[in-house]
Amino acid sequence: MIELLKVPSLLTVQDSGRPGYRKLGVPLSGFMDDFSARIANYIVGNPGNAPLLEFLLAGPALRFNASSVFAVAGDADLRLNGVPIEPWTSHWAKRGDVLEVGSLRSGLYGYIAFAGGIKCERLLGSCSAYPKAGLGRPLKAGDELNLGYAILTGKDSRYLPLQLRPDYSSKEREIRVVLGPNLEHFTDGGIETFLGSVYTVTPESDRMGYRLDGPAVEHSRRGADIVTEPLVPGTVQVPANGKPIVMMRDAQTTGGYAKIATVISADLHLLAQSRPGTRVRFRAVDVEEAQEILRRRERTLNAIEKFLNGEMRAYRIRTFGEERIAFTKVEKEG
Amino acid sequence: MQPELKPAGDSALLISFGEVIDDYVNDRVHAIASAVEKASPDWLIEVVPAYSSLLVVYDPLKAGYGEVEEAIKGFLDAKIEAFESRLVEVPVVYGGEYGPDIEFVARRNGLTIDDVIEIHSRQVYRVYFLGFLPGFAYLGGMDERIATPRLERPRLRVPAGSVGIAGKQTGIYPLESPGGWRLIGRTPLRLFDPAREPPTLLQPGDRVRFIPIEESEFRELYEREWGVEGD
Repeated sequence: MIELLKVPSLLTVQDSGRPGYRKLGVPLSGFMDDFSARIANYIVGNPGNAPLLEFLLAGPALRFNASSVFAVAGDADLRLNGVPIEPWTSHWAKRGDVLEVGSLRSGLYGYIAFAGGIKCERLLGSCSAYPKAGLGRPLKAGDELNLGYAILTGKDSRYLPLQLRPDYSSKEREIRVVLGPNLEHFTDGGIETFLGSVYTVTPESDRMGYRLDGPAVEHSRRGADIVTEPLVPGTVQVPANGKPIVMMRDAQTTGGYAKIATVISADLHLLAQSRPGTRVRFRAVDVEEAQEILRRRERTLNAIEKFLNGEMRAYRIRTFGEERIAFTKVEKEG
Repeated sequence: MQPELKPAGDSALLISFGEVIDDYVNDRVHAIASAVEKASPDWLIEVVPAYSSLLVVYDPLKAGYGEVEEAIKGFLDAKIEAFESRLVEVPVVYGGEYGPDIEFVARRNGLTIDDVIEIHSRQVYRVYFLGFLPGFAYLGGMDERIATPRLERPRLRVPAGSVGIAGKQTGIYPLESPGGWRLIGRTPLRLFDPAREPPTLLQPGDRVRFIPIEESEFRELYEREWGVEGD
């Protein structure tokens, strides 16, 4: 069991989300940064979708009331009983140990995974907190969390090499999108503005959506409002003021503003980790390319999982002048 | 009329009949939704119907867009089943602190408050779909004599159960949330309860009738539904 001692910011339990209920108006929810969250789970030997702690900007302080193995994903100072320890690495905690997680130096969301995952009441099939509808709640100091059963031996001291860690420090990033599905609501010039301009993430951004500031996207004569249609996380809606809003994991299930594009699944975590002030450029890819990028990312994540389990080795190689990580299988003897 | 199929990102396909609010089109949307759900191809994650469009969410690691589009074409002529439509009676306290905008709705339309209550509660409404918030039902068929534009400045806090009017639409807020609809009353019923199966009181295709009740009845029903004293 774990006891939360200090909770300086928004802290919730999240897993891969709550599919299957969107037709009832229930949002998908789940990890804002699925890439970091899955790796955090892999480091402690969990399946990628296991429930873990998601924090916004600053992490909590917590006490272990039983032995556990944990890992933190995010660029923050960590202390275990006052002694600095490394993120992206699994650590053994004994009964009574205190973990303090500091503020993120870059990115917005950090993750704390525990071997066995956090035990929670599954509401509509998921542990993901969506407090607005009474599905879980933000955690506070004094809350206690139970962990699932796990064999801890061999799960500590797993380390994700620097080159494999996501880097969210850049102040400007490119986000790929698939255009549509309401392109007839925009002028050609409006689409050009959207793809050719720099947009800034504003402070009016949360798990539901990120509002962007920048040149106004021009609507066609059909205007900004549509007959309410379904939408997905990643959808870019443009209301009458021309400023794009990107729907995130807690997005409403339907909306009445014209949709100019959808962020590709493989890039949504990059936007999720963009602090207010981060500059974003959108680049269009077609749906087949977006799906190929997602398949490639999935292969990388699978390789990272196997690498952390000791089933693969990672090598640094140079191809076409670019440094990459190559994975090879570890041949088992006998 | 055949709908248009378009990608909505890399893991959803939008089936669109154009921007219309029409019972026949909405029947077709729900017919396709239930046919796709029934066939449940292994790449299907879920379907999300709206007025005249339907989103098919799929797993792109199991099927590419082309394959999904091809498969969906086989469902576009799904037969409209005469499905069982429930009539759900929703008790409402009209006016007063429960419906602070009812006077405005009456005045703007040249009616008395009693007229508004009578017109609003006489109609049988159709649930086109659920969306926006958990359990929020998009109701159609409101009498235009009580149509009223939204507030210029949305309220920061609308209590759960509030019954509102926005243009020619009427609806019920399932949860406390900000909102710009003109509030004319409030139901003690719980529209969304994650502990129930199904978690929503209303389902697409249901018909709804509002039944005017007294404040004392509201208190009693509220306690039974929410398990606490009325707030």
